Amino acid sequence: MDIINKVESLCPECLRKIEGVKYVEDGKVFIKKECDDHGSFTALISNDVDHYRKMEECFDVDRKRVKAPLTDVDKGCPFDCGICPSHKQDTCLAVVEVTDRCDLDCTYCFANSSMDKSLDPDMETIRKMFETVKKCQNDPTCIQISGGEPTLRDDLPEIIKMGREMGIDHIELNTNGRRIAKDQEYFDKIASAGIDSIYLGFDGVSDDVYMQRTGKKLFDVKSEVINRCEKADIGVVLVPLVAKNYNLHETGKIIKFASNKVPTVRGVHFQPVFYSGRSPSMLEGKITIVELLEAIEDQTNGQLKVENFTPSLMPTAHCGTTCLTLVNNGEFIPLTNTSLGAAKSAFDVASKTKNSIMGRWKGSEKEKEDDDSSCCGEIIAKGSCCEKQIDVTSLDTSCSNSEGGWADFIEMSKDNYLTISMMAFQDVWSYERERVENCCIHVVTENGKFIPFCNYNLTNCKGEYLYRNTG
Amino acid sequence: MDINMTEEVQNLLKDEGFKKEEIQEIIEKAESNGKKLKHKSEDTFIAKDDSENLTTYAVYTISGEGINLNNVYSHKMHIDGLTGGELHEVENDDQSEWICQKCNETALERNVDMSYMGVTRAGPAIVCPKCQEFYVSDGVAKTLKTAESILEEKRA
Repeated sequence: MDIINKVESLCPECLRKIEGVKYVEDGKVFIKKECDDHGSFTALISNDVDHYRKMEECFDVDRKRVKAPLTDVDKGCPFDCGICPSHKQDTCLAVVEVTDRCDLDCTYCFANSSMDKSLDPDMETIRKMFETVKKCQNDPTCIQISGGEPTLRDDLPEIIKMGREMGIDHIELNTNGRRIAKDQEYFDKIASAGIDSIYLGFDGVSDDVYMQRTGKKLFDVKSEVINRCEKADIGVVLVPLVAKNYNLHETGKIIKFASNKVPTVRGVHFQPVFYSGRSPSMLEGKITIVELLEAIEDQTNGQLKVENFTPSLMPTAHCGTTCLTLVNNGEFIPLTNTSLGAAKSAFDVASKTKNSIMGRWKGSEKEKEDDDSSCCGEIIAKGSCCEKQIDVTSLDTSCSNSEGGWADFIEMSKDNYLTISMMAFQDVWSYERERVENCCIHVVTENGKFIPFCNYNLTNCKGEYLYRNTG
Repeated sequence: MDINMTEEVQNLLKDEGFKKEEIQEIIEKAESNGKKLKHKSEDTFIAKDDSENLTTYAVYTISGEGINLNNVYSHKMHIDGLTGGELHEVENDDQSEWICQKCNETALERNVDMSYMGVTRAGPAIVCPKCQEFYVSDGVAKTLKTAESILEEKRA
């Protein structure tokens, strides 16, 4: 047993702070921790210690703290959330939950949604939540409207409009898509209120998958949402929950499907299952990042390899990985590779992630072109004959089989990016204080607090929350 | 041999990170071994240097006062060879403006395959039909540079 380091974690039974060690055994990484009252617990963190270490080598970010902490340090992390002054990371995305209600009764749901309408925050409360974002998050401000299922609220367009008027820079909507797919008028209102992108729950490309989690056939619904977003020029990110014995076998097909819908679909963001909230009690569905990457490599026939995924510019090297790829005539041209080392960037993590959320994941037309793309736009616009590939019609047949040249490559690249990413949320089993202290995804509560996402949704093994629904 | 250049070209060298000495070396080498392109009607030349990861080009004229450097550019892409593999004659070849000084042959504009970071695409180059030396124009080099940046993921 080769010890990597000590970790501060929590007891899965009583949520008390306990110590543990992260160690290597048979090439795998585990966390083992012990509670005086409830015994010892072991959790698998990575199936491949080499990959685990590689992620650390490739991770290099500058950090910036939140604009204004909102609580004091008292009992120590994770019991002072709000954000407290010891939190090390600014917000890159603030999650604003506008309802607990949901029209799907999923077997798995970390939010443990219910159907009590009277619990929905009113407009004044939501206004205060937006104000919290403006107060705490450095500009530009990015929020995700989430739930529950936000589209159960008829006043969602007004909520979005209010956010816009209050100067929120980027607003994305987390949805299962059912109402958007059947209610065009409602979708039009959301679109004109100023939504930037849709974060669409998308667990697979076959109804078998949806039947298993929701008891409903939803694939056509998801496709219709994408069609409607295409017409409205609103970017879509597909968000599959991934678990073994569920949809792991469809990851390659999901990516393929997404690549055919570029540029409307800007990304696929996998969420490996984590055991908080309402979840099947067995842990067998759990999947580590490297297992998911291996499945993707296998199911894309090696077009997207494990090494094409570099650590996301997220809290820590182990919170997520990202691959940026071009899609050219159905072929993937991945632009990221761990062999290229850490992403070279002077930006701090939140700014960079925000740019990514706001730029790449938005609708194509609205994308703000940066220096590089405007520069290549210029080159194409000038269109001097020497820059374009020579017109093959004037040449002999030996040249006529050549596809697009480099100029076409640049033209293609402007609109054919796909970001494939995954985020490993923590549950009480895998919990490490270091990761949550650096968390950049924060949930805004109705009483004006900012709580790191994993802490907000954290439950003990009986499904009792540390923060959610606790006021 | 001394190299004259305008302030504009001096700034270009600085911006692109070239040293005057290395450009001088490229030109001197081309002048001594004749491996360069010469414009058909003007005293303008293109010399180049292929190092492992970078091809650098110097465009210059020769006058009574010596060598005047007009332009410098480079690309990281590797030129693999002619697209389609063989060079055949084409109707408009007599319009070519460049001569390979070493072979005294009219150099021709042809598509060549160029590779960078595992991606290969075609692009136009000026090719001597005899020694099959490839030269890339300033305009094409700009396009290649943009493509290189995209592949290096500089957008984010």
